[in-house]
Amino acid sequence: MPQYVLRRLLQALPVLLIATFLVFALMLAIPGDPVRALIGPGEALDEEQIQILREENHLDEPVLVQYALWLGKALKGDLGRSTQNQRPVAAELRTRALTTFQFGLAAWILAVLIGVPAGIVSAVYRGKPVDYIATVVSIGGVAIPNFWLGIMAILLFGVTLGWLPTQGYVNIFEDPVQGLRHMILPAFALGITSCALIMRQSRSAMLEVLAQDYMRTARAKGLRERTVVWVHALRNALLPVITVLGLQTGRIFAGAIVIETLFGIPGTGQFMVQAIFARDFKVVQGAVLLMALAVLTANLLTDIVYAWLDPRIKYDG
Amino acid sequence: MTRPGKRCLRPSLSVLEVALFSWLLVLAACGPESTDSHRAGGSDSAAFEAIGTGEPRRGGHLRVGYALEPTSLDAVLGRSGGDAYYWHQIYDQLVDADPDLFPRPSTSLAQSWEISTEPDAITFYLREGVTFHDGTKFNADAVKFNVERILEPKTMATPRAAMTVIESVDVLDEFTVRFNLSRPWGAGLNMLADRGGVMNSPAAVRALGKDYGWNPSGTGPFKIDKVITGTLVHLVRNENYWGTDESGNPLPYVDEVTIRVIRDQTVLSSALRTGEIDIAYLPYKDVSAFQRDDRFQIETMPGGAIALLMAFNLAAPPLDDINLRLAVAHAVDPEILNKAIFFDQVIVADAGMWPIGAWVYDNSLPRPYYDPDKAREYLVAGGRPDGFEFTAVTYNSPIFVPAAEVVRAMLKKVGITMKIDVLSNAAATERFFFGGDYPMYLTGWSRYPEPDWLASLAYKSDGYYNAGNLERPEIDRLVEKGASLYDIEARKEVYNEINRTVLSEAWFTPLLYAVNYAAAPRKVRNLDRLMGWDGKMDLREIWLDP
Repeated sequence: MPQYVLRRLLQALPVLLIATFLVFALMLAIPGDPVRALIGPGEALDEEQIQILREENHLDEPVLVQYALWLGKALKGDLGRSTQNQRPVAAELRTRALTTFQFGLAAWILAVLIGVPAGIVSAVYRGKPVDYIATVVSIGGVAIPNFWLGIMAILLFGVTLGWLPTQGYVNIFEDPVQGLRHMILPAFALGITSCALIMRQSRSAMLEVLAQDYMRTARAKGLRERTVVWVHALRNALLPVITVLGLQTGRIFAGAIVIETLFGIPGTGQFMVQAIFARDFKVVQGAVLLMALAVLTANLLTDIVYAWLDPRIKYDG
Repeated sequence: MTRPGKRCLRPSLSVLEVALFSWLLVLAACGPESTDSHRAGGSDSAAFEAIGTGEPRRGGHLRVGYALEPTSLDAVLGRSGGDAYYWHQIYDQLVDADPDLFPRPSTSLAQSWEISTEPDAITFYLREGVTFHDGTKFNADAVKFNVERILEPKTMATPRAAMTVIESVDVLDEFTVRFNLSRPWGAGLNMLADRGGVMNSPAAVRALGKDYGWNPSGTGPFKIDKVITGTLVHLVRNENYWGTDESGNPLPYVDEVTIRVIRDQTVLSSALRTGEIDIAYLPYKDVSAFQRDDRFQIETMPGGAIALLMAFNLAAPPLDDINLRLAVAHAVDPEILNKAIFFDQVIVADAGMWPIGAWVYDNSLPRPYYDPDKAREYLVAGGRPDGFEFTAVTYNSPIFVPAAEVVRAMLKKVGITMKIDVLSNAAATERFFFGGDYPMYLTGWSRYPEPDWLASLAYKSDGYYNAGNLERPEIDRLVEKGASLYDIEARKEVYNEINRTVLSEAWFTPLLYAVNYAAAPRKVRNLDRLMGWDGKMDLREIWLDP
């Protein structure tokens, strides 16, 4: 296993390099003068200032040189300063990533806590009303865009019922109660699609496993249904669910872009979108690096969990 | 077969449900009132203290919602017009302007000034006893430092382009400072009412370097307490603030201010309704609903910006032909755009790019108005009686994209086919004004205190926002003349002269002037003092009923 992890980590390096280089080149390939785009609409710098800005950001060098310069600094942990708000990108990303991670984790936990049991119930009671209800809800969950759901949740729980705050972010470590209250609606809006997908996946995996011969054997040897479903069937059904879970990491990051904007959460997604619009390429680079790292890590963890769940899977050798 | 399973599963699921539901209830029971993490710290109603019957009350925590986060809290480094919603609270300008855009010494850091012409110079007599938030003194040295900082190209100050007329700054004594100018600078006083006149503490700028932008130290009514980027800016009262109200009571009235970034329009309005914030600029779609709601008061400012305009590139075919530009300008009906896109809440433009409310505004000048017959006449004159085709650019805002669709439909009626490219704001601005990629840009425009800001940038041949950069020496001369004259009436004549060309040749065709609608619950007082000369928030005179 350690060898496998090491090999996977080495494989991740070229992926990171390619992803960051592609984004770097694409940001510079956007038509128009990046320096002018940096200045901001409605603002003006004179030629002398524009030239300084160009030189400071090495925009007169070839793309490869610019990338190498960025990479050299990035390896030392220096992602430069945002051209938009002059803050150090690495420090800003660190705080923002923690925020996104909090919400992502909450969404993810919500998705698992609801999705997996609902999928199991739905499979066990296949063809019963509870299955139909769960199916309708999950199809809705997949089909409804999460920003719309977010707005509806704000209107219902924030405006009409007045139960939960609709805006902003409170650090959960500074004020746990307020932090959680602020987290519920965005985590719900963010996690609902994943929840629905996980539910569908759990249901079909569970149905498949429940039809296996060893399930009949388990029941025949007198095991209680609870043990049959939760111990024997669930563990075998979890494999495809884990795959979906791993894939959801990327989805949650993508969803965070919209949800963070809607709920005013200062996370990575929101930061990156604004940076793209402002052509703040150092921020975009840093954010892409971070997201690529997160997705690669999630994939690696997924593979490790596979091996733990299914002893037949061996990675070494 | 599944029967035993049913019995087993039900209890375990309901336990989960109960646990989740009760968790939600516990969190919900904490109530919307306690949603703000800054409410501790002397903001309770008990902290209010009456100054006198009917008098403004001091104390309280004012919570404001605004759509844009600041690009910097250092006014001269900011790259967005939205920054002013923040820096107005932190700074004073050397010369402030009143809502009609005339200089106003009573709220300025300079108590008076003298203009001399041979040689050209302005001497400022500064207010004494003013300190920066870091405790250092505001004096002539500070003014010199701030102006020189802007003029240094490496600072990357956005007001620099408008201030290079200042050749040097002389400190005459501790509270007297002279700007030595390369030419007469009639535009100077109003230019100093904007970012260029904002005064930062030299000691703080030197000590913090690049980090100063988020730990600013001005002389203004509020001091920075905490910034959570992308979420909020929290300010506390500057106890040493020099400003007073008409009765001599010290300003500001409230103890603390939180400006919360709320990007989504619907969410902004609902935050105001739920009481999470106390003041917000309403999106047009919600204005009439708030007007009908007795709990709220609304303050308006007509001409707070240009809500919609057509900017033309005079060098980009096919609209390099003046007749075709005028055909486009006459084919668009702003009334319909107002009703269809702006919920009938803005004003049809009847003058130029200096909107209603500014001293330079004059609606007696000839300009293109909606007249489809005239549009067809111009098409004939331009040699395209059957119409023509071009691609306009706009940016991805919920206002401009549908507005562009409506404009396209109107142009179609006279035979003009307009394709639309939608880009981000920065990209659209860059590609229209500098790339020369489009003959027309459908956009909005901020309100500036000084007409020369627009004239120098957009009308002069080498202006940063002159898309075509066509040589028009007579306009260049007028722009320079307008900036140099000190007499307002004489300046107005010059700007009218410029406007005659700009409007009749359709360089820019403003379609709608914006109206700012600021809404607040009744407990927020002095809302009529909220919007300064630029229509943006200034919170120093706002107070709260307990």
